[in-house]
Amino acid sequence: MFKDLNPILHSQLRLAVISILISVQEAEFTYLREKTDASAGNLSVQINKLKEAGYIDVTKSFKDNYPQTICKITPQGIQAFEEYVRDLQAYLNIKK
Amino acid sequence: MTGQESLELIARMIHKAKRDYLDSGLSALLWGTVISFCSLVSFINQVTVKIDAINVVWVLTFIAVVPQILIAIREKRARKYKTYEEDHMGGIWISFAIAVFLLNFIFWRYEYTGEPAVYLMLYGVPTFATGYSRRFPPMLIGGIACWALAVLSLFCGYPYTLLCITAAALIAWFIPGLILRKRYLKAKETHV
Repeated sequence: MFKDLNPILHSQLRLAVISILISVQEAEFTYLREKTDASAGNLSVQINKLKEAGYIDVTKSFKDNYPQTICKITPQGIQAFEEYVRDLQAYLNIKK
Repeated sequence: MTGQESLELIARMIHKAKRDYLDSGLSALLWGTVISFCSLVSFINQVTVKIDAINVVWVLTFIAVVPQILIAIREKRARKYKTYEEDHMGGIWISFAIAVFLLNFIFWRYEYTGEPAVYLMLYGVPTFATGYSRRFPPMLIGGIACWALAVLSLFCGYPYTLLCITAAALIAWFIPGLILRKRYLKAKETHV
């Protein structure tokens, strides 16, 4: 019997964001938007969900007089991602 | 989204983020040019006119710190993300700069004949570490070349040791810098 996949991460855009953030130390909102091809509104909503789950930290500041949003994965987010990948592998092995 | 699609998405995003890291090559070009120029001028001076004042050319290595700081600031501002590797590399190159500065002081204070070998050995450390960590063979080769030239410099007398420094700066920094710059400009062109 396999565990249910984490519903917070099992969403295309949220999983894409977490996968990018696991590879870098931190990333700007604009970078995430560029890499995921998502709309600003949708990305903003999904980032908020990840933040509420405690998977990412979001810092808002200003850079050259423009607002800047920086996202960074938390230790809890890393753990959730690792568990998600393990569950996914177990799920795929059972299916095979 | 199926399990297979999730795994593919993860792999694609990680690959995108990794592939995105590109060094502009400006720092490597700057130091490759400055060090090779200074050592070559010193060498030519020693085998021809032998005017002590010409060795002041090495002051350029201190002046080059200014454009290096400007390059670092500009690149930091332009970057939309920060990698773990950047911090590690930054630490290694800052330690290298401090070690070179201290060596200058030590060699000024105490007479030592194998100066170029020590500098070359030190040049090899951050160069090899950068090549190793970024899986960038030109810098790996550059680091090894610095160490080989350090040994070679012990067997050739002054001023030929200066040519070892010129060769090291060209192989370790200037050539990798050119390759990085070419890659960077090509990637920038395709993004536009």
